[in-house]
Order: sequence, then C-alpha cells, then structure tokens
Amino acid sequence: MTPPPATAVVDLMRPTSVPEDSQINTDVMSVTKGVSWQWGLLLTLAVIGVIQAVFSYAYQVYEGLGLAGYQAPVFWAVYIINFVFWIGIGHAGTLISAILYLFRAKWRNAINRGAEAMTVFAVLTASLFPLIHVGRIWKAYFLIPYPNQRALWVNFKSPLLWDVFAINTYMMISIIFFYVGLIPDIAIARDRATGFKKLAYTVLSLGWQGTGRQWKAHNRTVLHLAGLATPLVLSVHSVVSWDFAMSIVPGWHATIFAPYFVAGAIFGGFAMVLVVMIPVRRIFRLEAYITDYHFENMSRFILFTSLICGYAYAAEYFIAWYSGVEFEQTSFWLRAFGPYWISTWIMISCNVIFPQLLWIKRFRTKVPFIFVLAVLINIGMWFERYVIIITSLSRDFIPGAWGLYIPSIWELSILVGSFCWFSMFFLLFLKFLPIIAIAEMKELIIHDKAHARQEVQ
Amino acid sequence: MPTLLSIFDLPDDAATAITKLRGRGFDVLESYSPAPFEQIDEAMDERPSKVRIFTLVGGLTGVVTGFLMQIWMSWEWPIKVAGKAYASIPPYVIIGFELTILLGGILTLLGLLFVGRLYPRRLDAAYSARFSAEEFGVVVKVGERDVGEVDSLLRSLSAKEVSLLDE
Repeated sequence: MTPPPATAVVDLMRPTSVPEDSQINTDVMSVTKGVSWQWGLLLTLAVIGVIQAVFSYAYQVYEGLGLAGYQAPVFWAVYIINFVFWIGIGHAGTLISAILYLFRAKWRNAINRGAEAMTVFAVLTASLFPLIHVGRIWKAYFLIPYPNQRALWVNFKSPLLWDVFAINTYMMISIIFFYVGLIPDIAIARDRATGFKKLAYTVLSLGWQGTGRQWKAHNRTVLHLAGLATPLVLSVHSVVSWDFAMSIVPGWHATIFAPYFVAGAIFGGFAMVLVVMIPVRRIFRLEAYITDYHFENMSRFILFTSLICGYAYAAEYFIAWYSGVEFEQTSFWLRAFGPYWISTWIMISCNVIFPQLLWIKRFRTKVPFIFVLAVLINIGMWFERYVIIITSLSRDFIPGAWGLYIPSIWELSILVGSFCWFSMFFLLFLKFLPIIAIAEMKELIIHDKAHARQEVQ
Repeated sequence: MPTLLSIFDLPDDAATAITKLRGRGFDVLESYSPAPFEQIDEAMDERPSKVRIFTLVGGLTGVVTGFLMQIWMSWEWPIKVAGKAYASIPPYVIIGFELTILLGGILTLLGLLFVGRLYPRRLDAAYSARFSAEEFGVVVKVGERDVGEVDSLLRSLSAKEVSLLDE
C-alpha cells in the first residue's frame, strides 16, 4: 500500500485554528451571565408575592370557599377569570411557534423563544386555578378517570372534564415544544459553559451535536409538533369557552363563544408578549435581533384580533336583541348599563377602541406607545372575562335570585400571586436559558452571509 | 483508516462536498451544522426522517385509546339520562381528539430522541464548539492512499481547513 504523500499529511497534522465565537452566541448568552441587583430585587418581590398568595390559599383551604366574595347566584368568579385569562395568554406563544412556523413566517424566529417560554409559564399558572377554585382540594383527583373504590367514572359529557383533558394536553405539548426547540440552543450554552452549569447543560442537551441525522429528525419533529399544536391551540380555548357556552345562562349560551374566545386569547397573548419582550429587549440590548419590525408585525396581529373581538362583542349584542329572548336582552342591557357597567366599558375601550390607533403607522412603530397599549389590552382582557363571567351569572332568569359579587381581599391576593408566579418563572428563565432561539436566528444569519458572498463573486 | 475533518463556512459548500464525496464512493461519517439546513441533511441521507412513523403511531394510539376508554367507562357504569345512549359519540370526539394530540406529541418527542440518538453522552472526538458557532464540519473516512487526493478535492470545494483526526 502506498503511503499518502508526506507533505499532505504533515499539513493535515497541524492543529486547527480556533475561530472567534459567533456574534449572536455571545450577544444572546450574555443575557444569562451575571446577576444585577435589579434582577435580584424583582425576583425577591416575585417570590414574596407568591408566598403571600400561598398563605392566602392555605387559609382558604382551612376556612373554606366562604373566604371568596361569592354571593348567590355568583359562584364562579376571580379564580375562573384568572384561569381563562392565563390560558389565553399562553395562546400567542403557540400561535407564534406553531402556526407562524407552518406559514413559514421567518420573522417569528426572533420572538419565538420568549413567546414559547411565556406559554409554558402561563399554562403553569392557569392550571393552578381550577384546583384553587374547587375548594376541597383533597378531592381534586376525582377529576381523573381511573379504577377506584367509588366504582365511579367521570362524566365524559361534561365540558368541565373536556377541560381537564384539554388543559393537560396543552401543558404537555407546550412543554415538549419548548424543550425540543431548546435542545440545539442548550448545546450552544453547553459548549461555552464551565463547572456546574456545564454539567446541567450537558445533561439537558442530550448529546446534541447538530449532525445531519439530528437536524433531520429535529426538523421533522418541529414540523409534526407544529401540525399537532395548531389544531390543539384552537381547540383548547374553544373547550374553555364551552365551559360557559354549554350552559343555559343568558350571556353564556352563545355559539359564537369558541371563535370569540380563541381570537381574544391570541389578542391578549400577543399583548403579553409585547409587555414581556419590550423591556427584555431594552434591558439586555437585543435591538439587533428583536427589531421594530417585529413589534410592528405583532401590532398588526393585535389590530386584526382586536377587530375580531370588536365584531364578537357587537354580534353578541345584535343576537341578544335579534333573538327576542327577554332574558338575553335584559342580561346584555345590564352588562352595559347595570351595576357592572364600568367593567364593560373598560373592556370595550381597552380591547376595541384604543387598539384602533394601530391603523396609523406612526403609532405602530412607536415602542413606548405599544407597550402602554399592550398593558391596557391585558387589563381589558382580564375585564372581558370579568364581564362574561360575573355579569352573566349575577343577572340570570328571575330578578329575585339576582345578586352582586365583589372580589374579596383573598381572591385579589391570589390574583397578585399569579402574576408574581408567572414573573418568577420568567425571571429565572432569563438567567438560565437563551431568550432568543439562537439556532433558528443563525439559519437566517448564515443565509444572509451566503447571499452576500454570491453577490461579491 | 484515516478520518478527515473538513471545515466549511457556508452550508451549500458543505452540502456539495458531501454529495461529491459520496458520489466518489467515500464514506461520509458525519456532518456538523450550527443551524438547520436541509441541503446538508438531504446530502447525508435522502430518505425522509423516521420520526413521522412515531407521530402516526402515537396519534392512532391516542384516538383509539380516547374513544375506547370513554365508551368502555360509560358502559361500565351505565347511567341512563333522558333516554340517550350510554356512549354517545359526538361529545367523545373532544377527548378523543385531545388524546390523539397528546400521545402523538409524546411519541414524536420519543421519536426525536430515538432517531436522533439523543441521550446524555460523551460527544464525538470530531465535534467542537466551532460547530455551535457558525461553521460546518464534514467527517469522511478515506483510504491511506487517498488522503492527499481528498484533501485537495475538499480544498477545491472551498473547505477552509482540512485536518486528520486522531484515531
């Protein structure tokens, strides 16, 4: 056998140079490096908020649901509102990661990770509320069908049970989707970490090396998960809406509820993405990756879904009038001009009137403006659920049975706690995992580089 | 047999190199890429990923489990309400659907782990942090006598570095 030409081999044995790290790796991973006192303060406040809510909840378990401001006939209140609100927040993340992926909208790459993380944390928050709401928490396992001494099965014809399945599926799929997207980025972090962090990233990255086989499987997986998550996200909020629409309470019993809830969820979710991402971009100087273009696109989504919400509000009123059903008519009249009129008008102004300013490009591209608007929309969306749930229940068929509900301090404490719980997860996420999907962004960066080379040649 | 690691800057160059090498009968062991580029994955293996089988099996298992579970449980504890069937299909579609998605998603994840051989383990000797930066790597096994030839072939295909890996 002839040995290889000596010169070639000597040439090959020379150690290879170590190139500089890619810019995006350094930029995005710098977010996770170091801890500022502001971050520490926010985390402390969030943890205190969670602890106070845990105490309120423990007291409620001890005392019973009498602590909530329930007043006959209103027995679904702030806990259910929070549940619907937080589930809705999650929807924007799945829309961005699944639906925009299927539509090949590449601009989503920059905001995708932040939105997915938000989805996971929002669903983790939301799934607590049915349990808080049931009161006798030690019986919560009755929700799950399994062979038991009671010789009973759950009622598969109840929308509340559909919810159990829908929410748990949504939680699982969101976490899987989030994790699958993270694997290549955890590998990036692993290659640059030291000590304990390196060990943790090594385990979590599952030996990812970006081989042809791995990327091929990964692409397939993301495609399939997107395909599964798209109908799922539409079904989840539909099922949540049926919790109401399947009953005969005036104001709930409407066929428009499913699309109305889904549009509202995406609307509120996009607003929450903006509320979270605008400060993150500003604080961590990520303007090169999350540009005004992204915020403008999200503003367009908000404007579009706001129009759907506005249409749904109008359709509800129209149908109430057109149906000729007195109960419906009274219920809707009292929504706008009854004891809860203020919440209805907050909902209409925050969700339909203010977002109309986004028709004007100058507002759409002004980041401080869209931040304020997004906060208002979140308030509006919380009040939308307040209006749907409280006003409908408090004014049902017989005036003699009407009642007024005012949230108690314990419910508000748990409401504050839910925001703190969400923020706590998000703050921890910022310091442990990359906030921007680096590998997906790199695809665009390398693509641009290839094009630039071609033009030079 | 010697193994050569070549480094590329652009995905198209790496993909061309893989296609050329495989066309000439060399055994391309591995490619490393910092981001998903289909041209490289296709050049390595033109068959579609097997993950799709996992999703299909998961989805079908889910839909069958969902409906069978509900129908069986309704019959196991029959309650007649308003003369309606114990097991009525329309409301069961929802949980049947949710379980389709749930098991489909879980099996897709397992498919990724299985097909992509993902589990915590030692990384390849050829792998380095440069492939999680912005460079592409192609590992090829060549006969002793072909080293020089493959080296110049790779360089002509705009490989910026070619090195011999330790055995």
